Amino acid sequence: MFYRTAGQFKTSYEADHALFPVRQDAILLGVILIFAFVIFPFTASEFAFRALLIPVLIYSLAALGLNILTGYAGQLSLGTGAFMGVGAYACYKLVSIFPEMNIVVAIALSGFFSAAIGVLFGLPSLRIKGFYLAIATLAAQFFLVWLFQKWAWLYNYNASGAIQVPNIDLFGITVAGPRATAMAQYYFVLCVVCAITFFAINITRGRIGRMWKAVRDMDIAAELVGINLMRTKLMAFFVSSYVVGIAGALFVFLWRGAAEANLFDIPLSFRVLFIAIIGGLGSILGNFLGAILIVALPVIISSVPGAFGIPVDSAMVEHLNIMIIGALIIAFLIIEPHGLARFWAMIREKFILWPFPH
Amino acid sequence: MNPRPDPNELTAPDDGIARGGVLLDVKNVSLSFGGVKAITDISLNVLKGEIRAIIGPNGAGKTSMLNVINGFYTPQEGTIIFRGKERRSMKPHQAVGQGIARTFQNVALFKGMSTLDNIMAGRSVRMKRNIGWQMLWHGPALREEIEHREKVEEIIDFLEIQHIRRTPVGKLPYGLQKRVELGRALAMEPTLLLLDEPMAGMNLEEKEDMSRFIIDVNQQRGTTIALIEHDMGVVMDLSDRVVVLDYGKKIADGPPDEVKNNQNVIDAYLGVPH
Amino acid sequence: MEFLNDVLVQPFADMAAAPDFLLQVLWEGLVGGVLYALIALGFVLIYKSSRIFNFAQGIMVVFAALTLVGLYEKGVPALLALPLTLVVMLILAMTIERVVLRPLVNQPDIILFMATIGITLFLIGFGELIFGGENKVMITEQLFIPTGSIVFEPFGGFVSIEEKDLTAVIGAMVLVAALLVFLNKSKIGRAIRALGDDHQAALSVGISLSTIWVIVWFIAGVIALATGIVWGARAGVSFALEVIAFKALPVLMLGGLESVMGAIIGGLAIGILEKVFEIYWGQPLLGGNTEAWFAYMLALLVLLFRPQGLFGEKIIERV
Repeated sequence: MFYRTAGQFKTSYEADHALFPVRQDAILLGVILIFAFVIFPFTASEFAFRALLIPVLIYSLAALGLNILTGYAGQLSLGTGAFMGVGAYACYKLVSIFPEMNIVVAIALSGFFSAAIGVLFGLPSLRIKGFYLAIATLAAQFFLVWLFQKWAWLYNYNASGAIQVPNIDLFGITVAGPRATAMAQYYFVLCVVCAITFFAINITRGRIGRMWKAVRDMDIAAELVGINLMRTKLMAFFVSSYVVGIAGALFVFLWRGAAEANLFDIPLSFRVLFIAIIGGLGSILGNFLGAILIVALPVIISSVPGAFGIPVDSAMVEHLNIMIIGALIIAFLIIEPHGLARFWAMIREKFILWPFPH
Repeated sequence: MNPRPDPNELTAPDDGIARGGVLLDVKNVSLSFGGVKAITDISLNVLKGEIRAIIGPNGAGKTSMLNVINGFYTPQEGTIIFRGKERRSMKPHQAVGQGIARTFQNVALFKGMSTLDNIMAGRSVRMKRNIGWQMLWHGPALREEIEHREKVEEIIDFLEIQHIRRTPVGKLPYGLQKRVELGRALAMEPTLLLLDEPMAGMNLEEKEDMSRFIIDVNQQRGTTIALIEHDMGVVMDLSDRVVVLDYGKKIADGPPDEVKNNQNVIDAYLGVPH
Repeated sequence: MEFLNDVLVQPFADMAAAPDFLLQVLWEGLVGGVLYALIALGFVLIYKSSRIFNFAQGIMVVFAALTLVGLYEKGVPALLALPLTLVVMLILAMTIERVVLRPLVNQPDIILFMATIGITLFLIGFGELIFGGENKVMITEQLFIPTGSIVFEPFGGFVSIEEKDLTAVIGAMVLVAALLVFLNKSKIGRAIRALGDDHQAALSVGISLSTIWVIVWFIAGVIALATGIVWGARAGVSFALEVIAFKALPVLMLGGLESVMGAIIGGLAIGILEKVFEIYWGQPLLGGNTEAWFAYMLALLVLLFRPQGLFGEKIIERV
């Protein structure tokens, strides 16, 4: 009904290569951006910022990073949490050593540290495939978290062993640390996420994205059409870990405010993996849909019994929560293995063809 | 790291070899896996501009031969001279740099990608804008994308697959997949095109279409073609010269008519005990 | 120079100076290795027969142990609780086959792998909901597992071996032997191996996939129960046991995903080596707790030279 592609003709390849060949997609995105930039900030409570909006954005970004590696380049990784940790600790050290450094620069630089470590642990991918590689990424996961614990220099020899985010200003507004307001942090995260998403869309739809997908779909054929497997895989590790590292820096600096090493352990890696898979591997949009689901679900589950006036103790909620998420993952995989993004694609298709079924 | 092929070298198929000169010369090549001999002391050449067929019963070593030519397997013995340059071993992606492209017996497309993207992937080596431009999707990166898109659209028109441009190839029927795969190989603008059973599993009409494409590629684009095919009618009609393999050995080589009447060939196909 | 001495000389000097302590360390490592091997065995069986990388194997260990102890705490006699737990594991296997595997048949590996992570989460929530999340004590004595310890005095030193560890090692050996006989001699066992070689071929000779899957997951459940009893006797029963699942993964890398012998040898090797490394290198030089990653790094190094694992079959690529 609203989606009509009839009458929208392309007269040049340039127009065909626009970000949104279908006008309605652009309009829809515009509406979402207006909500994100204008309407949410003026209506959201402190709780909504901290429990929903900011984590959804940061988890989306982390899942986007993982999706580049797993969904586009086909290299399964179980160590996302640790690479987020590398980004966070690198940012912490940069801010401690160079207190004058602009926070945007510090975060952008911290991504390079996780990217370098990502490439290092990506080297085995040249020899190892599939699940063997997935287990190899766990080596990174366990080793790095151990390092975060044992290498006291990383957390400035704090007695607590945790990193604590100081107050940091950007253009006179405090964006990180105890003094920062939720709204300032939200805007900061939103801008970073929008920018990186834009870059990621462009990379994945161009030459590099095609090379990644070719390696994913059939690595031997990719090599025989002239794609250098080593460069392509390592570039995927680099870009992916960069984005994941940025997400990790945001995770600690713009949301948690403090972090211990075990925050970056396996559960975080798996949560990001769930988001990417439930959202849809090989999709940019899916990361956002998946993050909304995974972040909102516990909040909803814990508020439902209260809303009906049923007293439930918090341990019970916790257990139910885990159980339901587990069941939902299985259910989603059975209903639509390609994730929420495919759901949306199907609905959109229906809209375009409506009211005719074919 | 392996050096990336120089894009200028790719676009210059003129290598001083005149039409009819020797483009590829395979000399005394032997290949074995463990103790199993796949190819035994085979020599054959491909002349520039011809359509060369490699035939033989199942397990004769035909596909292994193609794999040797494009560097996927390294033979234990023998040499290969392509465009005047001799080599023993190389990476498959370097073969592409030298102007060899191929299709596969079992379609080896990128199933999750659209027809357009599959063929565009064939041009990956020729595109060179770095990730910085790609991120912005402006200026040189966009110009490059469009420039190659135009070439790819020519191939899409040529193969008459406009209607499936946006369809993920995994959803296409087999015959069309074979055609897309040919498109991807053509996108590499090869000097030598290797086709591994381009008509396997096709019906008569599809075979006729494919034969027409192969002849057009050979005549309009001047591409040299080496193909493996089981359909004898097609082979005899299409090819200029035929080489016959059996049990990893060469048993005949020559024009179709000559090969057709060769006693060794008839024996091999009728299964005379060795 | 001093560093080289610390890394290359001192540890061996320590070993030579106290051979009885070395023996003790080796024994502890061996017992740990037996447990890793058992969990890895569960993985290998399921992978061989269904190409599923079963992440839930670790949680099945906890779930089995928790059910056993939970039933006992609810008043069921220990010797009745044991078969009842086996029944629960059978029901679990059937449920997983019906609810998870059957609808997901022919999906890509990663989807099935994710589904087993889903199973893991579900079982954690479910188990805690029914039996509570607190740490429990394994009913070792009630199952007539000896709890004393045997003391040796080799080289004039002192080595102490817990009887329950000894029972564990012997029990594991019996279990593995029984399993090998089952796989090699029985009709179903051969069917399982056939399935591992080629799904379609196995189907075409008339093997019911569902039945095989239930059996395989049940066997994995039995192995999980055995592992749970042994590990629970050493460390108590709680979801912290889940971490041992992660310990089994490098064993798989080392041994090859499809090799039963690989799982056993890999498990023992990793158990012993990580203990020795921790005691002689990790604690004095690296601040300890190297067991968290040692096995992975070792397996990763091995894989770089043998991508198919120590016992996996060589992969020949074809086009």
